[in-house]
Amino acid sequence: MTFLKTTIVATLLATSPLILSEAALAQELKMAVAAQSAGQLDPHVQTRTEDKIVFAMMFNGLVRFKPGSMSSDAIEPDLAESWTTSEDGLVWTFTLRRGVQFHGDYGTLTAKDVVYSLNRAADPNRSGVASDYTAFKSVEAIDDYTVRITLSEGIPSLLGVVANYHGGNIVSARAAEELGENFATNPIGTGAFAFAELAEGQFTRLVAHEAYFRGSPQIDGIIIRYMSATSARDLALRTGELHMAAGLRENRWVTAMTSSGNGTVDVFEPGELRTLHINTTAKPFDDIRVRQAVAHAINRAELVAFAGDLVARQNESPVPDGYIGHEPNIDFPPYDPERARKLLAEAGYPDGVTVPVAITERQSLFGPMQVIQAQLAKVGIHLKLDVMEHSSWHAAIRDDVSPLVLYGAARFPVADSYLTQFYHSDSIVKTPKAVTNFSHCRLADEQIVAARSEPNPERQQKLWSEAQQLLVTEVCAIPLFELLQVWVRVPAVNLGYTLKGSLSLGPVITELTTISE
Amino acid sequence: MTKYLLQRLLSTIPTLFGVLTIVFVIIRIAPGDPALAILGDNASQEALNAFRERLGLNESLSLQYWNFLKGLATGSLGVSMVTGTPVVKAIAEVLPFTLELAFGAIVVGGVIGVPLGILSALWRNGWIDSILRVVSLLGLSFPAFLTAILLILWLSIEWSIFPVISTPTDGDLWQRLYHLILPALSLGLIMVAYIMRSARAAMLDVLGEDYIRTARAKGVAGYRLILHHALRNALIPIVTVVGLYFGLLIGNAVLTEIIFNRPGLGKLIVLSLNQRDYTTLQGLMVVSAVLIVAVNLVTDLCYALVDPRVKLK
Repeated sequence: MTFLKTTIVATLLATSPLILSEAALAQELKMAVAAQSAGQLDPHVQTRTEDKIVFAMMFNGLVRFKPGSMSSDAIEPDLAESWTTSEDGLVWTFTLRRGVQFHGDYGTLTAKDVVYSLNRAADPNRSGVASDYTAFKSVEAIDDYTVRITLSEGIPSLLGVVANYHGGNIVSARAAEELGENFATNPIGTGAFAFAELAEGQFTRLVAHEAYFRGSPQIDGIIIRYMSATSARDLALRTGELHMAAGLRENRWVTAMTSSGNGTVDVFEPGELRTLHINTTAKPFDDIRVRQAVAHAINRAELVAFAGDLVARQNESPVPDGYIGHEPNIDFPPYDPERARKLLAEAGYPDGVTVPVAITERQSLFGPMQVIQAQLAKVGIHLKLDVMEHSSWHAAIRDDVSPLVLYGAARFPVADSYLTQFYHSDSIVKTPKAVTNFSHCRLADEQIVAARSEPNPERQQKLWSEAQQLLVTEVCAIPLFELLQVWVRVPAVNLGYTLKGSLSLGPVITELTTISE
Repeated sequence: MTKYLLQRLLSTIPTLFGVLTIVFVIIRIAPGDPALAILGDNASQEALNAFRERLGLNESLSLQYWNFLKGLATGSLGVSMVTGTPVVKAIAEVLPFTLELAFGAIVVGGVIGVPLGILSALWRNGWIDSILRVVSLLGLSFPAFLTAILLILWLSIEWSIFPVISTPTDGDLWQRLYHLILPALSLGLIMVAYIMRSARAAMLDVLGEDYIRTARAKGVAGYRLILHHALRNALIPIVTVVGLYFGLLIGNAVLTEIIFNRPGLGKLIVLSLNQRDYTTLQGLMVVSAVLIVAVNLVTDLCYALVDPRVKLK
């Protein structure tokens, strides 16, 4: 056996200078995301989870969330050096940093690029996030290095929508104009890393942007591999073919990876809130007693135990923990199956009720849904699960076919984004401006709208808190638990910052990141 | 011969047309569309509608179909609705990976399967035959993804011979071949079972023929009898099996491609289906159908090569 092994190894090494040539590119950081392929690499169009970190490495905003943090308190200057705001908060003037170079030969950043980018992000024909910019009345270049934004009404966080996230990413106006539709296959920004190559279904390659305004990156480049199989990512990390990889959000995986010594596991914000949305207009849930019965029947501690306490935590508020405006002290219906049965009987269902529910085949939602199914069955609410392919399920729930929708999401960390998209009447599914209001709730509209333009932070928080309590009291939805982000990296990788949170849902590689030999 | 080829090519047009029409309709009947896949789950209805307008998805089905056929007639497969890449380019990028994987698997299958099939037939019902039949049954029963993981655990993790990620980022020919070995082996082991069984059956048929007895009577023996007289005549069913399973390989390759992180037609089909990337999926169907038709044609041409009695008319 030893002879056979030696022979095979020797033959292979002698005939091909293979592993060595890969090792020669040691300063290329290799990471893997859990996806089969890249989406459109245009930050104003694509909002897919797996592409967010690529954008964060290629682009900058006027301001940025400090690397490793997603707290709005930690927003700092990025392409803008400084800014001022009018007393009513409707006019914002940004002074740009000088000498910022775009990737390739696209020259120096000027106010023209910022105006172009923000107008592009606000244009529904060219952007997928235009609804974030509806309050933008005008964006003007006062001179080459001064930009003025005028709003038609106050918004909860202007700095948030001009930060390095989605529409806030600044693109080269010349590149976007010249390349047109092809911009997505050759994106040009000012970030620490520039786009070099996309091999469909394999990887995206970024190279260091030597002229990056914060200094040339320490590593030569990044390979972002698209690897949907967890086992393949884990094995590749073990053989040293990857430096970093998306992990599995399960205790079992975190424990096994940590004890294997192959890598350091990072568990970080944001938590994606899992919420059970209840259609308040559909039978039998149009009766609040049935909704209350559901709330009393769900044992959230059991759900967290199912997801794993290393990666999940309970949340009783309709807005995730850590978001500006999150109200932690919610008066929530406690777990009480007896009370649930009683309420159900009072509502006219003493023998229980059966409800058809659509659910995706993806384990991250299907697993918890099965736990909920078992919990509700104990009080007589029987869910008939229709398990669907993921894209079909997304279409079906937007078509309002399911009275209960278990949904998981992370949004821009301000209460308004979550409340507007999930609980404002404009967002009710199957309406012209629909987003993801599956509950058909319109009870908190007044507070949501008032909070949006409320200049006083205390009054704004009060309005947001009222809205959250109202949604829970009326049982429009049942917030269950939050699932945190999980990644693993080999000890040789030093990110250059402490990773506590990432709005890009992954560890962003910066000019400070190093790989020690 | 030329007439035969032309006839075969022309006869594929209705097949292609049928496949395309069915795919075109079915994918649009399925719930979900590319706009949601591109813009993400927090896109508003307004943004989705604007995007659908831009992609031409708000047009009537018949108009979309007409536009697709018009594009096809001019040799254009359009651009991917999700990535914006021309479909031809996206397919051209992954096609070599699929072809080399399928070809590699067939080589593995042939090189191991044919000799084993011959051995099995020669020692029919003996202990070698019994062992090989059990082994081939195991090969058929083992799912490709399990074989792939076992091979990785053994050859990549335990012995550190092959990489886990089977696509080089800088590919010269050696690199590509080196990265191909493990996936080809994992997919090829299924082919070994198929080829071995058909080789065994074909050899048994042939070995019972009168001309083999005559050859033996004339003093031909050993490898000459097996390779020149028996195997040559047994090749037609083996070639048929290889041709038939080529189509299956493309489908079976999906899991192999996912585990070894290789691009390929199978993986791209699944991805396009998940993302409702209509244009790419249509393009992939055109290419897959052409590929399968071409392989069948090549298989038929091979009959004439391996057996001079076959004439193509």
